Amino acid sequence: MMDLDKIIASLRDGKHIPEETVFRLCLNSQELLMNEGNVTQVDTPVTICGDIHGQLHDLLTLFEKSGGVEKTRYIFLGDFVDRGFYSLESFLLLLCYKLRYPDRITLIRGNHETRQITKVYGFYDEVVRKYGNSNVWRYCCEVFDYLSLGAIINNSIFCVHGGLSPDMTTVDEIRTIDRKQEVPHEGAMCDLLWSDPEDVDTWSLSPRGAGFLFGKREVDQFLEKNNVELIARAHQLVMEGYKEMFDGGLVTVWSAPNYCYRCGNVAAVLKIDDDLNREYTIFEAVQAQNEVGNAIIPTKKSQMDYFL
Amino acid sequence: MSLPGTPTTSPTPMDEDTEQAVSVNTEPKRVKVYILENNEWKDTGTGFCIGEVDEGKFAYLVVSDEDSPTETLLKSKLEGNIEYQRQEETLIVWKDLGGKDIALSFEESMGCDTLCEFIVHVQRNIESNISLVTVKSSDNGLGSVHDIITGPVTLPSNDQQQNSQTLLEALKILNENTSFDFLKNETIEFILQSNYIDTLISHFHKAEEEKIPKDLFLLSNIIKTLILYNQRDILESMVEDDRIMGIVGILEYDTEYPTSKANHRKYLGSKGPNFKEVIPLENEDLKIIMKKCFRLQFLKDVVLVRFLDDHNFNLISEIVMDLETCIIDFLQVGTFLDRLIELYDTKTLPESSSEKEKFVQKRKDGIRLLQQCVQMSINLDAVDRSKFYKTLVRKGLFKVLDYAFHMETDSNVRILATDTIITIIEHDILLIHNVQNEDSFKRQHKSGPDDKSSHRKYPQDYSSSTDSKLLLILSTILLSDRSPGLREQVVQALNTLLHPEGCVGNGEGSYDLMGRSNYEAKKTSEDFPSFSYGLNSDSINLNNYHYSSDEMNNLEPESESEFQVMEYFANFYNKIAPILFGPLIKKDITTEMAEIDGQIEKVTKDDLLLIHLVKLVSFVCTEHDRVLSRRFILENGILDSVSKLIGGNHMMQLRLTAVRCIKNLMCLDDKYYHRYMISKNLYAPVFKLFQENIDKNNLANSCIQDFFRIIITECRAYQNDGHNRKEKTNGSYDGNGNDVKTNVNNNRTNFTILNKYLVQTYGDVLRKATDIPFIQDMLETGEENQPDHSSFENSIEGGNDISVNMSTDGFASNHLEDIDIKNVKRLHSEIEHFENDPHYSGDQLAFKKSVDQMNAST
Repeated sequence: MMDLDKIIASLRDGKHIPEETVFRLCLNSQELLMNEGNVTQVDTPVTICGDIHGQLHDLLTLFEKSGGVEKTRYIFLGDFVDRGFYSLESFLLLLCYKLRYPDRITLIRGNHETRQITKVYGFYDEVVRKYGNSNVWRYCCEVFDYLSLGAIINNSIFCVHGGLSPDMTTVDEIRTIDRKQEVPHEGAMCDLLWSDPEDVDTWSLSPRGAGFLFGKREVDQFLEKNNVELIARAHQLVMEGYKEMFDGGLVTVWSAPNYCYRCGNVAAVLKIDDDLNREYTIFEAVQAQNEVGNAIIPTKKSQMDYFL
Repeated sequence: MSLPGTPTTSPTPMDEDTEQAVSVNTEPKRVKVYILENNEWKDTGTGFCIGEVDEGKFAYLVVSDEDSPTETLLKSKLEGNIEYQRQEETLIVWKDLGGKDIALSFEESMGCDTLCEFIVHVQRNIESNISLVTVKSSDNGLGSVHDIITGPVTLPSNDQQQNSQTLLEALKILNENTSFDFLKNETIEFILQSNYIDTLISHFHKAEEEKIPKDLFLLSNIIKTLILYNQRDILESMVEDDRIMGIVGILEYDTEYPTSKANHRKYLGSKGPNFKEVIPLENEDLKIIMKKCFRLQFLKDVVLVRFLDDHNFNLISEIVMDLETCIIDFLQVGTFLDRLIELYDTKTLPESSSEKEKFVQKRKDGIRLLQQCVQMSINLDAVDRSKFYKTLVRKGLFKVLDYAFHMETDSNVRILATDTIITIIEHDILLIHNVQNEDSFKRQHKSGPDDKSSHRKYPQDYSSSTDSKLLLILSTILLSDRSPGLREQVVQALNTLLHPEGCVGNGEGSYDLMGRSNYEAKKTSEDFPSFSYGLNSDSINLNNYHYSSDEMNNLEPESESEFQVMEYFANFYNKIAPILFGPLIKKDITTEMAEIDGQIEKVTKDDLLLIHLVKLVSFVCTEHDRVLSRRFILENGILDSVSKLIGGNHMMQLRLTAVRCIKNLMCLDDKYYHRYMISKNLYAPVFKLFQENIDKNNLANSCIQDFFRIIITECRAYQNDGHNRKEKTNGSYDGNGNDVKTNVNNNRTNFTILNKYLVQTYGDVLRKATDIPFIQDMLETGEENQPDHSSFENSIEGGNDISVNMSTDGFASNHLEDIDIKNVKRLHSEIEHFENDPHYSGDQLAFKKSVDQMNAST
């Protein structure tokens, strides 16, 4: 068996993980993830986290500010990869935690956890830089296909990356999706990962070109039909870290501070206690340090050997 | 300052004319002269305006009265810091040094142009402090837009002695000068023509030595500002040999990280410019381009990665692409590629063992190099890519790949070789094949130019062709190499090579697969009864379904490429598929696997291979010509094996992949597959798996729920069709929000038969899950149809009225897992195509016979 604690330590230091190790991590994660439902059950107390986007050092800050996985239960709402320069380390760290503390961490698929999107927005490129070939990217994409599409906390809070879908309006319907596939361009599975809340009267076209815009009416209907009181989602940058909408029926949580190393936003996580009270923790980007205390300037790794 | 006539400095297009026009005075142009008095413009008369230069020293705008040419209406000196405004097309307005507001209103805009050119000339040569600006009303009609045509430009000090003050001033100027194109262009000219960047670099060394952080950060900001000018020549000049280290050195300092410093110089010093040369490059220019290319990428990806905006990023990418195009061109002209590929001639192996080792390493590096070149070519335009790949293939790329796949044992190197192949075939599947044919074509023409058949015969010899060899190599690697990464890549390559849409319309002439399927459907109906069904015999007689060359010639395909594609797939099923799908052809996978080795580890690894193979089964069944693929799949009992995998003691990933494969085949709505799977009881393991997971909220449960949902959705659609026919209502909803077309077609009976069969056979399992609403529906639908068809056997017997959906028009999806959903949708929209096709009746009969045969033999 792998020494997970050792791998976790390496990942936290941003060290290179051998391809073979990544493969085994991914394979073991698949087994764990496939035992979870499309909408997986989670108990309180739990801390809900939004987009991470490869900002490893901010992810470490997140754990530090919110109690750490040894003590706290977490739900991550997807978008672990792309944009930032440490997508691989961020995603693998979360997988390792999942393997190490299976019931302390729930991972939900975001719209960036797909082959097509990661090819364009950085993760693929990052892996090729770090390994000289795309194998590790392939292993990770295979894991993406096994990630849950949502979670439900104490049967009261529905968690999803993007939002609602007009095709499937109950949690039971979502259970009938065979989720092990690349995220399609349309349909319920796509909408859950791509939709956004907006001040609209009914389902509307999304400017993103995938998913829908939905308004208070759709949220209220969903809450009532499924007997839940809150939809917690991520997917949109919020400068203040979180934003409640529709009389508190929906919240957007964003957990990547200074997004893309330039947006200047703060980040937030949302803690839900046993009485379903909401408590937000705000945190900022801090300059990361390596093990000997030197500052780490986030950057891409240059390409490997250059031939010719 | 630059002189007129140098093309790089021309903000206006009239420099060459002005050169002559102003040496003498300008042509007279008709104008009205206005003077502002008491806030009102007063018309002072109409005349002809010229620009006049006295003794090359003083310049004037002179207007002489049109009625009495000797009388001067206006003589105004161009001097001091007068700002001339051109308003709209025909007006020039200014305030002279005496404070008088003057306006010239030209009869024609051409006249106004001439005098503006004159002002520009004077600004550049005589009175550098005057300026000319244009004022136009903005597009929305509100407000106005100013632009500078010419005028004095403030530039940063290029004094060798720089300090915080000069740098701060420079930063301010450089930022301000971006506000107008004219100022920006003049500044760019200054940067390029002067040694300003060198001045900055030399001050950087001084500031670093003397530890003046303020200057270091200012320098960094100045360089970044210059980069934001987004000017190609500036960027290129920054990465030249004598500047690059200075530039990245300056950029190591970043005000965002005031207490730390990056180490770009260290990285570049140790690695960057000293790239590996597997084959020494003779061309010095090429070396320079390569260095430049590498350094720009380094700037883009590492040094400036958090800083660049989209414009900068795109410009640098564009430059890099141009340089890459250049590199790829260069590589093809000399002997470089020949010398590289020579490395893989087996006879050239050195004697001594140390030399040998070096040589083997060199061969590995050569493969890396080739992969890098091919990788580099990805961004090139299609024509350049094709040209490069063709050159590679002509020069013997296959020698290298042969080596990689047969001699090389390092999986990492093999992966790069596969990657190279994938890049080429994903660009154009037929490229390799066409290059090979073009050789044979030449050969044939040399031997007998009048013998027309010779040219056709050669490509028919497919067994020895390159594509065939490639398929075989890849299949063998997939079956034998255990590196999971390599396997994934090989599968990707196979998917590309075996994708029919990649083979059509890409080469010369397009090829219609639909048209072909009709022919083959007929063909098959004749062939089918004579088959010995291969299920029980160990050896399969491949010749039974081998297309002979004569047969092919009779076809008279519309084009050579059409012919090639047919040969290609026929060959795949004859020669390659039996090997590739070998593990699924063997009779009892579960026992065989267990027999190999007691170790769990081994079983897991083979399960990973089987996952790939089962996905490939889905792929060929969905994408390939139906008759061709179905014959292979059914004869070899592939689906039996797939079904067994669901039930066997395998990893869940494989079991579910097998469920999906069965699901995909069901979604094809193909009568033969439907009946085969029913008659061979292939659904049994699905229900066993369902029972195992019936109370669990997990992926297996969802996967099978999806399976049932498809069946009942199709059944409901059929029912609704029937219902609608009676009720004459239009439009219906299937409960999932999908619009169901109200087509009336018997195709749906495939699903109603299946549902009835499943309810009859596995009703007890289904009844345990009636809390799932659509399972209740399945039960109800399955039971209510009873009176029409009393048993499954009846429905098979009475099935002659069922037409078959033979659509070969596959979905262009690279993701096998996508197929599930898409196919369900397809069924709604493509049901009527084959209704009246005469070919199917015979075909059906043939199949019925073979099903009978099959049933008798089991």
